Amino acid sequence: MTVPQPTQEDLNERAAIDRSARYPVMFFFTSAAAWLLFATVMGFVSSLKLRYPGLWDECAYMGYGRLFPVHYNSLVYGWAMQAGIGVMLWLMARLTRSRIANPAALIVAGHIWNAGVALAVIAIWFGAGRSLLLLDFPGWMWPIFAASYALTVVWIIPMFLGRRNTLFYISELYLIGAAVWFPWIFLTANLLINKGAAPVMGAGTNAWYVSNLIYFWMAPIALAVAYYIIPKISGRPIYSYPLAQASFWVLAILAGWTGLSRFMGGPFPAWMPAVSGAATIFILLAIVATVVNLMLTLKGCTKLWEYSPSLRFTVLGMLMLAIYAVLSAMGSTFVFGKNLQFTHFIAGLDTLAFYGFFSMTMFGAFYFIVPRITSAEWPSGARIRSHFWFSTYGIVTMVVAMLVGGIAQGGDLAQWDRSFSVSFVNSNAYMMGRVLAWALITWSNFYFLYQLALMFIGKGRKSAGPTLIHAEPGEVPSARAAAGIH
Amino acid sequence: MNSNNFWKLLGALGLAFALPWLLLVVLPYLDQSGAAPVAYGEGEEIEGGLTAYPDRTLQRHGASDYGREIYAAEGCAYCHTQVVRPTYAGADMWRTGWGGREEDGLARETQPGDYANEGVALLGYQRIGQDLSNVGHRITTREEMHRHLYDPKSFDTDSGMPAYKHLYRPSAMGDGLVPTPKAEALVDYLLSLKKDQPLPKSVLSGN
Repeated sequence: MTVPQPTQEDLNERAAIDRSARYPVMFFFTSAAAWLLFATVMGFVSSLKLRYPGLWDECAYMGYGRLFPVHYNSLVYGWAMQAGIGVMLWLMARLTRSRIANPAALIVAGHIWNAGVALAVIAIWFGAGRSLLLLDFPGWMWPIFAASYALTVVWIIPMFLGRRNTLFYISELYLIGAAVWFPWIFLTANLLINKGAAPVMGAGTNAWYVSNLIYFWMAPIALAVAYYIIPKISGRPIYSYPLAQASFWVLAILAGWTGLSRFMGGPFPAWMPAVSGAATIFILLAIVATVVNLMLTLKGCTKLWEYSPSLRFTVLGMLMLAIYAVLSAMGSTFVFGKNLQFTHFIAGLDTLAFYGFFSMTMFGAFYFIVPRITSAEWPSGARIRSHFWFSTYGIVTMVVAMLVGGIAQGGDLAQWDRSFSVSFVNSNAYMMGRVLAWALITWSNFYFLYQLALMFIGKGRKSAGPTLIHAEPGEVPSARAAAGIH
Repeated sequence: MNSNNFWKLLGALGLAFALPWLLLVVLPYLDQSGAAPVAYGEGEEIEGGLTAYPDRTLQRHGASDYGREIYAAEGCAYCHTQVVRPTYAGADMWRTGWGGREEDGLARETQPGDYANEGVALLGYQRIGQDLSNVGHRITTREEMHRHLYDPKSFDTDSGMPAYKHLYRPSAMGDGLVPTPKAEALVDYLLSLKKDQPLPKSVLSGN
């Protein structure tokens, strides 16, 4: 079964949509990429400081307790969320076949968002942080993010209302979900924490916010991309539409319950971590069903993975999502969780979410979208290949070092009759792995940023065929034949 | 037809999320924010004339409220937890001094009331350093606490804690170091961390 070929009219319409998206989406993409560079360098610097605590100890700005939140906030709000917003806008426009009506308003909103991220990073760096993961910025700053998000995402509602199909695309479901869930969790977390009336539940709300940001924003946007790109590139419909719908609703019903399992045995009623753990375990079903559904869609044309950069990054992102779901479920069981909480395992899982599955899928989306909105092809397939392999090695090194290191650290922490610093000394080798991983990731991103900058200034390749990973432009037909598509 | 679908979808998403939002976050938050101190019962003899748990003046020490801001701003909670878990969930109670004054039989797990003096409890992200719930009982003098901040390795050569030298200035007399007001406040906060106030029997029994 194949999907029908587009007519010339369809192609013209798509080109018009892409043109309308060009400036706002490229604005979000390039700002996101600049933050990505900053965030990965800070990831490297903060990991180095953790491994060698004596470095720069005269300097107030170079403590791990400041570098790490600077790294994390710029990674999530600077890179991940801006990349996600850009993808959300373009994808919604394409799916609903509507042009982006207010590019100028979107660019204004994007500037507000960037100003917010910059202020947050400066505030944390200059000593106004709050030691609350991803809510480190001072309490008065949340309206900046809220306003900018509202000004951006409100435009997808008229797009959605004006659409012509009666059936929901799965990607549309996920995009609408992400659009609605983020303001809800963001406002709840900020208002409750700023009120400061219930200290322990404030900390619980913070944990809930981080987990919901992963399941209710990062995962839906990544899945919307995968449900779009995989059928598009393979030229096949989704293997099972009902399964995709069911998985969506399982996630929608359960994800709100997650988060509190970070504090097993903490000063909470015991049911809270238990319920959160159970929800995380059940979400595994939804995620595995989704990833299997996507892989079955690709069945028989997996060779395409060798050629298409978008597909390759997206598939890697989806595999990482599956790994994330499995390890999160494992960490949510009491047996593993009690030994792994507060260790590098949990921190590694967070990085696997924000950098691993989310960023890989976003790279897939960038490689698909940017040529369409700039009407040029990526300059070099070889550089895409380098980006892919250095990213993959980087994130795999990261995850292995953090997860294995976390398990070892959990064991050391449980040995109460040995000196506490044993757990630190024994983690040193793993932390060296983390330093190396960020170095690889930073290096990989230079390839990505260099190409993106070329595309941005209009130095992309002008060609009829797309840039593939393993073929010169002239060989495109043979590459397509090898991949089993005609 | 289409727009109708959209509002239906939003309604369904809202319903699905409203349940955990209310039950896991908002209602427990409101419940906890109204919590009043619990008076000790008849016949419970508590040293120091304490009448109720939590006693917020007991949780303060000098400029500890400002010191808490320094603790948060320096990101201490990224490496230090303030959670002592029950033995079913970890070995925290077995570590010397983590649960409080063992010699007086007062060591215990942390309870929600222990954080009553803070807006948000800094429970912590990772445990790269020691748990600080009861550090005020383990390190009892200002001088020792300052030395811990200025040169952690002088206590344990394997310590992974960075030195917070920027919180100290050379003395005007040229003979040593002077703590900045930030360092003094941070020390006040750390000395205030004593989460082992005896619990009234009614709290222990859960009523």
